[in-house]
Formats: sequence, C-alpha cells, structure tokens
Amino acid sequence: MSDELLQELRDSAQKAFPADKLAPPRDAAWQLAAEMGWLMITLPEDQGGLGLPRSAAIAVHFELGRVLSTAPLIPALLALEGISAAEGLADRAGWVERICGGEYVPLNMLPGTAAGDATIDGRLSGFFEADMAGHVLAGIPGRYVLIPTDAPGVTVVERPLWDESRRMFDIELSGFKPDPALVVAEGEAAKVLHDVISPVAQLAIAADSLGGATACLDMTVEYLKTRKQFDRPLAMFQALKHRCADLKTHVVAAEALLWERTGDESASVIDLGVTKALANDTYRMVVEEAIQLHGGIGLTAEHNCHLFMKRAMLNAQLSGSIDHWREAAGRQALAEFA
Amino acid sequence: MSDTPKLAAFRTEVRGWLEVNAPHGWRERYKAGSHEQFAREQKKWFLKLVEGGYAVPHWPKEWPGGGRSLAEQKVFYEELARADCPRLLLTFVATYHAAATLMECGNDAQKARYLPGILKGDVWCQGFSEPGAGSDLAALKCKGDLRGDRYVINGQKVWSTMAQYADKCLLLVRTSSEGAKQAGITFLLMDMKSNGIEVRPINQIQGDQEYCEVFLDDVEIPVEDRVGEEGKGWAVAQATLSSERGLTLMELTYRMRGALRRIADLIRETGREDDRGILRDFGQLVARCDSACAIADRFIDNRMKGVESIGDAQIVKNTYSRVLREYSLLGTRLGGMHEQYRWPITFGDLNTGNWMADFMNSYAWTIAGGSEEVQRNIIAERMLEMPREPKGWVL
Repeated sequence: MSDELLQELRDSAQKAFPADKLAPPRDAAWQLAAEMGWLMITLPEDQGGLGLPRSAAIAVHFELGRVLSTAPLIPALLALEGISAAEGLADRAGWVERICGGEYVPLNMLPGTAAGDATIDGRLSGFFEADMAGHVLAGIPGRYVLIPTDAPGVTVVERPLWDESRRMFDIELSGFKPDPALVVAEGEAAKVLHDVISPVAQLAIAADSLGGATACLDMTVEYLKTRKQFDRPLAMFQALKHRCADLKTHVVAAEALLWERTGDESASVIDLGVTKALANDTYRMVVEEAIQLHGGIGLTAEHNCHLFMKRAMLNAQLSGSIDHWREAAGRQALAEFA
Repeated sequence: MSDTPKLAAFRTEVRGWLEVNAPHGWRERYKAGSHEQFAREQKKWFLKLVEGGYAVPHWPKEWPGGGRSLAEQKVFYEELARADCPRLLLTFVATYHAAATLMECGNDAQKARYLPGILKGDVWCQGFSEPGAGSDLAALKCKGDLRGDRYVINGQKVWSTMAQYADKCLLLVRTSSEGAKQAGITFLLMDMKSNGIEVRPINQIQGDQEYCEVFLDDVEIPVEDRVGEEGKGWAVAQATLSSERGLTLMELTYRMRGALRRIADLIRETGREDDRGILRDFGQLVARCDSACAIADRFIDNRMKGVESIGDAQIVKNTYSRVLREYSLLGTRLGGMHEQYRWPITFGDLNTGNWMADFMNSYAWTIAGGSEEVQRNIIAERMLEMPREPKGWVL
C-alpha cells in the first residue's frame, strides 16, 4: 500500500475522530467506525471487503489509539478475522455480511476458565463492550464458538475497569449447550484459526498503544510549553526537555519496528508479540512521565492524563503479557543463533 | 524490502567479491597485535577496497568506484556487515569528511591536489574540538594569524581520531574574535608533517588509543590551503559534519544485530538457557536491536525518497547508542566475574565479546560525534519545538 494512500486513510481517520475529542461517546463512535468502512478494511474482496493490506488496519488502530477510542474495533476485527477464515461455519457469508454492516461481535482478549464438551461451564474474560453484542466469539481451549448473549446458561457480567475509555465483561457459562451451527472451528482448525488471529491482535494492540503514546507525549509537550513557573515556560528547562526527547526517541523507534513488522509477512507471531511488548512498554514509559511532567494537575480526574495512563496499563495485559513475549523472543533468538 | 533486479545483481557481485577478498581472521590480528599493526591492516584493507572499486561508493561517478546510489551503498554496507569485514576507521575521515569538504567547498586546485591522494591511502584527521570547545564547538580558540602568504597557528586540538597516523588535517582556527563567535572561524588544510605539530595519543579507559591531542606551536599553513574565505569556516565545517548521513549507523546496527550471537553463545556457555529472567532480558534486547535497525533503515529509505526532517538523524543515533549500551551491559552481566579480568582487547570493533571493553567503548557513541545530550537538545528544540534557553547568564 502506498504511503500516499496510507496518509489519506490517516487523514480521514483524524477527521472522523479529531484529536481534541478524547474518548468520544461509545455508541456514536462505533456507528461512525462502521460507516467509515473500517470493519471491512482487510476483509478479502471476494468476501465483500476492501481487501487492503494489514498496514491499512494498523494505520486506523494507530489513529484510534490516539483519541482513546471507545469504539471496540480491535475485538470486532479479530472476531471477523476468525469468522471470515472459518470454512466450517454454517452461514459464514451471513455472519461476515452482518458484521461488516455494523453488528458487533467481539472476540475475548483474555484467557478464561470455561471448559467442557457437549455443555460448557466456567468463566470467559476480556469481552469489550459486550453489552452491545448479540453474540460473542469465544476462544475456548480447542474451540471457537459463537455464543448468543441471551441464550440459556449465559450470563454477561460487567467487570469495572480502571480504564475509563473501555468497558469489559465476563461471560459466565453454566450448562451452556453450544449450537453446532455456531461452532466456528474445532480441533486442528481451531489451532489454525488461533494462528491467523493472534498476529493481527499483536499488531493492532501495538498500534493502539503507539497512537496513544504519540498523543500523550504531544499533549505533555504542549502543556510544558504553556505552563509557566519561575517566569519561563517549563519547556525551557533542559532537565524536562531531555526527558521529552528520550520519550520521543523511544516512541519513534518502537513505531519504526511496528511498521517494519506490519509490512513483513514472514514475521513470526513471536516477532509481532515482542513488537507489541515494546509498544506496551513504550506507552507505559510515556504515561508514567506524562503525569509526573504535568505535576499536580496530572493527578486530577478532570485532566486527560489519567485516561492515557489507564489505557496503557490495560493494553499491556491484552493478548499475552510483556514477560510472556519477551521470554518467547529470547528463546526464539537462542534458536536463531544456535 | 526486497531488492530490484539491478540491486540484486549488485548484491551478488559484492558478495562474490567479499568472499574472495574479505580479510579473514582479522579479529585475531587486530587483537594480538599493536595499535600500529592495526593501522597497517586497516590501510591494506582500504587499498584492497580501492582496487575492487568499493572504497568510495558515495563519491561522484567521475571517480573510480564512485557514483553508487544510496540504495546501492546500503546494499554494500549490509554485505560488509554480513561478511563481518572490519570497519574502515583509519580512512573514514578522509573518504567522508575530507572528501565532502573538498568536493563541496574546495577550489579546483585543492580538489586536484588532495582528492587523488585519498584513494592512495592518505589518512586525514579532524582538528575541530578543543579542551574548551566540545559540545560548544564555536567557542574554539586555536589561533590563526595571517602573516604574508601563510597562517601561523598556535593552540591545542583534542579528540582527533587517528591523528597519530594522519597525513593531513581538517583544521578549524580562530582568525578573529570580533562579532558572533561563529564569524571569526577559518577552515584550513594542514599537512601533519609541518614543523611545530606534536601529536599525543590519548589512553582510553579500555586501553585503546583511537583519539589524540594535537599541539600546534607556530605551525605554518600556506594561504592556498584555506577552504572558503577567511572567517567563513563555520559554514564549511557544517559541510564536513553532514557528510556522513546515516549509513554508518545503519551498518553499525546491522553489525550489532549479527553480534547478538555473542549473547546467545554466552547464555549457553553459562547454562542459562532456561533462566526465564535472562531470556526475557535477551528477548527485550533483540526487540530493541530490531527497532534500532528499523529506525536506521527508515532514515535511509526516507533519504532515498528525499524526505528528511530535522531530528531524524539524532533519533537514529541516540537509539543505536543506547541499545549498544544495553547490549554490552547484558554481556557483562552474563559473563560475570570472568569479564572483570583484563583480557586483550580487539581494536576497531564495538562488538568484540570482551564485554567490559565493549561496555567502555560504547561511550564512544553516547559522547563522540555530538553527545547524547546535544542530540536531545536538537530533538527537543527543533523537533518538539520546545523553546531554547535564553543565551548568556550572569552570576
């Protein structure tokens, strides 16, 4: 995809979600995201999608991370990625069409305890905005199934988050009988599907994180330019400038890796996972410093600093921890240099 | 990014040439020998590259081996790193700094007199920094008095890389103390065999002697060896300093990426293959190293497209130098007590596997060529547009 097209996509995203409206009201944001066509952005053309390369989706996630988007595009695209690739799913075309039309079906982004065969019991975690979902796609060990949220044996429970830009739900299953028509993949096919979805998740969260880190750093630098103490803007103090320069260096370097890996179809899921870990850690560094550099105002709920901070800390828990990916990357490199 | 057919052909050609001509076993020779022997080896390798037509790919096409596109230069440096060839330290100032200065600002006579010598192995050094003029280079005091048809030079220079072997020197002197401090600076070409020059190598903390102090006592330089006008040397110096734009850092990051093997070997040698803490730190280092490669690559790609913003080069440098520090520190940690014994060093390489030496040598990149702090100022003031501090201060 050319740099110009990518830039156009970014521009239109910035227009739809302007930088000065952080965490816009969710339902309207979701509708707008669907109207922008972002749900079908990487879906193959023969399935009715736009068939754009993954860099297009990454550009959108980056921009949405920048505004602390409340629209749950990432879990929706991950579910769609799975459903559109699931050859065994009855009415696959219908599901794809409905999701592209704006019906919200999220994939869980945290592991759970649910298990079973003919009936499933236990808890599934990490469904964003499940209150607006008629169905969720549940990744359970060995299986992906669509679960109607109003089916017998299904309870949707909100788990209040520190992150104020998103809402998260558990789904509790008690004697839930999966509908064979709603089984997306099982056994070997489920493994294949996992390997299709996981790389997309890593890149999406990395992009959201670096978009947020970029916006949070910009906001902090702007604040330092306007806040005056000792008869000068804080931004004039070298001690603070150097911290901002180091953060900028970290953000730009992590972003360079994100784009390189986005364009590299041969990158392993570990390569992408450790790219996400680097992005998570970079976001954490930026938000940690942002509050300190804002001083007292950064500790107040009326300022936006904490919104970035809370989102950054949650992002680090999604789709594999920093420690998990670093260890995996260490093992992978040991094997590379065997 | 994959090569175009033309680039792929060039890569094959370079790879083939390196297979035959790369100086195998150089690490042992650079390690066992004296610093003088290292310099001789460097000259031999440089002349070999001249013979192959690869010594000055960045020069214009009129020169043998010149006229290579940036994309070709990138391929060339990737291949040098891949073949683990020694870097050209001895002739670096000659082929980049001296050449750029002469080509951009020298007159025809100067070009004719000095450029061919560079391809014959003339070593150049830089006489810019002084004890009182480091980050604040324009504060330099070394004096140049015009007496008849020659300048008489008195003063001291420092951090002149490889000056002990240099034939010529790019020299900045103060010819006037009036007006802005940049305005009184003049750029001269000095013959290092002139009377009144004393060169003293500086003993570095890791035992190397890459840099020198240069003392100048009534050294005479003919006026025809002035580059540009008197008092306009600052602008010429900018041409000198911007001559090398990213390729060196790209080459160095790729070399560091390859040298991650040393860490992997050390993990195995010390039986830490299942130490999850170590594996995480190694994984993080690999990611940081890959991100340094990605940013260096992007800088070169942007330059090829003609896009370069102020601050980009500084971010590349500060990223590389920090990751290099992290790399060498992980090595010292893994190596443990073994690294506290003083083993022989290898000259001319940053990733030698002598971890204490590598750790100490990594400061070369956070201090030399514009310190990390100066780079941070540029990123903050010119990229993030944070205001400069007011000039001057009063107690």
